[in-house]
Amino acid sequence: MHETAIVSGLMRILEQKAARNGVAHISSVLLKVGRLQAVEPQQLVACFEMFAEGTVADGAELVIYVVGVRGRCRACATEFDVPRFHFECPACAGSDIEVIQGQELYIESFEASSVSSVNNVKARADV
Amino acid sequence: MCDNCGCNVTDANRHLLENDEHHTIEVLENLLHENDIQADHNRAHFEDHGVFAVNIMSGPGSGKTSLLEATIHALPPGLRIAVIEGDLETENDAERIRRHGVPAIQITTGMACHLDAHMVHEALHELDLTGIDILFIENVGNLVCPASFDIGQHRNVLLLSVTEGDDKPAKYPIMFRAGDQVLITKTDLLPYIEEFSMARARASVRAVRGDMPIIELSSKNGNGMEQWIAWLVQSVAEQKIAA
Repeated sequence: MHETAIVSGLMRILEQKAARNGVAHISSVLLKVGRLQAVEPQQLVACFEMFAEGTVADGAELVIYVVGVRGRCRACATEFDVPRFHFECPACAGSDIEVIQGQELYIESFEASSVSSVNNVKARADV
Repeated sequence: MCDNCGCNVTDANRHLLENDEHHTIEVLENLLHENDIQADHNRAHFEDHGVFAVNIMSGPGSGKTSLLEATIHALPPGLRIAVIEGDLETENDAERIRRHGVPAIQITTGMACHLDAHMVHEALHELDLTGIDILFIENVGNLVCPASFDIGQHRNVLLLSVTEGDDKPAKYPIMFRAGDQVLITKTDLLPYIEEFSMARARASVRAVRGDMPIIELSSKNGNGMEQWIAWLVQSVAEQKIAA
């Protein structure tokens, strides 16, 4: 369950960025998670729902974009999708493979409404 | 009307402006950013003291602590070591190490299934690294989670015991790919475990990382220990040159 540690990192970043950008509410968050990160998307989502409660991201949707593993053969420079963690070059059968994609674990962006927008909506509702 | 005070906002165009305020904020920040900064700080601390830091990882019960005990006795005189032990509970492993006269700090993680850079940092406050050449950090026995967390180590060493089965690397590829050195342990038990094929185990490691160096050893009867000690001695020398 190291997903809890990852989600607390996520919440820290979201709350910092939200405060800095005058964000009142976050409606969705886009994560990029590489397959080499040993992270289970379903657990991230469940954990996020719990951690986001009562914060600026309460009820936000966590959209996880899973990034497949791609490698580049150091012997012949062929780039290829790595199937099932089998790191072997399809062109020359070389086994010295550099990972060029699949280690991602970051927040791409989030959708937010700013403080002024929410105030406007409230003001209109009051009228 | 101007663009500054809001006097240009009318009932007719207000909704357009409000749509603008619903926006996408780009972040592009790593979720383990804080851990990684702490890990770099730990590494700098090791390098200030000329310490080579090894992160020992494996499933539970594959012989990490036994390996450390055997290592203490096999190291050439003059190489001084310290140990940080990670477990969910108990002081048992640190006590085992201290019995050999080696300083050991126990981290009990409670419910956490891995060590992170902050836990190691806390432990370092209790550990004097002056005169230490090698710090072993024995991670929580787990073949999934520890792979994701940089704790400031210079090298990852992965243990696979013959009792676990020769296909573990294929089952836990991310962990085995994270290694810099694989040790196949408990080889003294090989005669009793006919299911375990050393060739299959090696092929299974090679499938996830073709250039992975592998040492077969037994902490119990000492076979293969000299290769492991040679790797350590060489790594310490390389680390001193780099620092």
